[in-house]
Amino acid sequence: MPLEILLILVVLGIASIAVMLHLSGRSKRARLTAESAGAAWERHFPDDQVTGVIAAQDGHAALVTTSAGVGLVWAFGADTVARHLVEVDLDDTTRGLRFRFSDFTAPSVRVALAPEERQLWRNTIQAT
Amino acid sequence: MTDTLSFPDPTQLAVPFFVAAILAEFIWIAVKGRGGRYETRDAVTSLIMGAGSVASGLLLGFLAYGFFMLLWALTPLDLGTSVGVFILCFVLDDLRYYWVHRFGHRIRWVWASHVNHHSSQHYNLTTALRQTWTGTFTFMMIVRAPLILLGFHPAIVLLCGGLNLIYQFWIHTEAIGKMPRWFEAVMNTPSHHRVHHGRNPRYLDCNYAGVFIVWDKMFGTFVPEQDSEKVDYGLVHNLGSFNPLRVAFHEWIGIFRDVVQPGLTVRQRLSYAFGPPGYSHDGSRDTSETIKAKHLVRNPQDRGSPGFTQ
Repeated sequence: MPLEILLILVVLGIASIAVMLHLSGRSKRARLTAESAGAAWERHFPDDQVTGVIAAQDGHAALVTTSAGVGLVWAFGADTVARHLVEVDLDDTTRGLRFRFSDFTAPSVRVALAPEERQLWRNTIQAT
Repeated sequence: MTDTLSFPDPTQLAVPFFVAAILAEFIWIAVKGRGGRYETRDAVTSLIMGAGSVASGLLLGFLAYGFFMLLWALTPLDLGTSVGVFILCFVLDDLRYYWVHRFGHRIRWVWASHVNHHSSQHYNLTTALRQTWTGTFTFMMIVRAPLILLGFHPAIVLLCGGLNLIYQFWIHTEAIGKMPRWFEAVMNTPSHHRVHHGRNPRYLDCNYAGVFIVWDKMFGTFVPEQDSEKVDYGLVHNLGSFNPLRVAFHEWIGIFRDVVQPGLTVRQRLSYAFGPPGYSHDGSRDTSETIKAKHLVRNPQDRGSPGFTQ
């Protein structure tokens, strides 16, 4: 197959599938409650015992306290990703907090938090 | 000698079919409301990985091809181009695929290339296209050497490899439950391959087959899909980025960081590169064996059931 034809097919194919998925509502992010965030954590780290969960009000992230320390679980598309909060830098942003991990597979996560939530999250992280 | 034999790359010719099949699967799921999940960024990442894999083949494919032609020049054997030779080559190349795939899960150096194929938490036809960009650097082309030295022309071997990959496209779906019993017994199917993509402790490191599931049954790596345990797709430690560059290279970077850390013996450094995924010199990480063992501590009733028999 000529390279130009292959390139056109690939670009149009990817673009049309992306548009179709987005317009059909497949770009929605997972929503987390305290219960589902705890379950999501145990899915990622089955050896941990979850002792507490603080879900963000927007439902896209949660701070989880466990037997192995505190961690963050967040919406990753329609699914979730979780990391223990080790080797992490915390920055304030205009809408909440940014977690910068020392992890090539999850470099940083922005979590939208109201001011009172942000303080609670910071206190919880610092307390552990 | 059939020195000038050549075939078009079947995977490139199949691109329009891939796109049409993805659209058909998505519409089927949307209409029926079951049979799989699609997510925009996940699917786009998979498709970009597929396009990058084709580009990688165009840029680096000459290395493997040159190696194969060198072997072809060395071997005194030429089995010709009959239909029988083609069929035999397809079956033997599938056996080759089984072992390369098994190495891809048991040797971190090869896993670094293959891991991206398992990095989606979804399982649909776009996942099939989430292919490696770095396969050349695993040097797994060596596993094809016996075929060429036995007298299978490199063009036939490469054609069989391409057809093998095309076969594996359709099995990346939740839209098909089980195929007829005779088919499930011999062929790799959506059910068998769903298990292969599972991160559940039960489903780790099994069902490596490409086309014929009989290889897993022969070599003791077959685990049937359990009605009682839904497959949880993705990696043991799922990625937190849709960036194709991070998907493609993260494990290579992980190997580099591990190998160069101070205070290790040469054996430990080699083990980080060529040991099983999850190896660590201080036992701080889990391999599939320790993940299964920990699961059995939490769930002793699973001991002896499929996936926990060893």
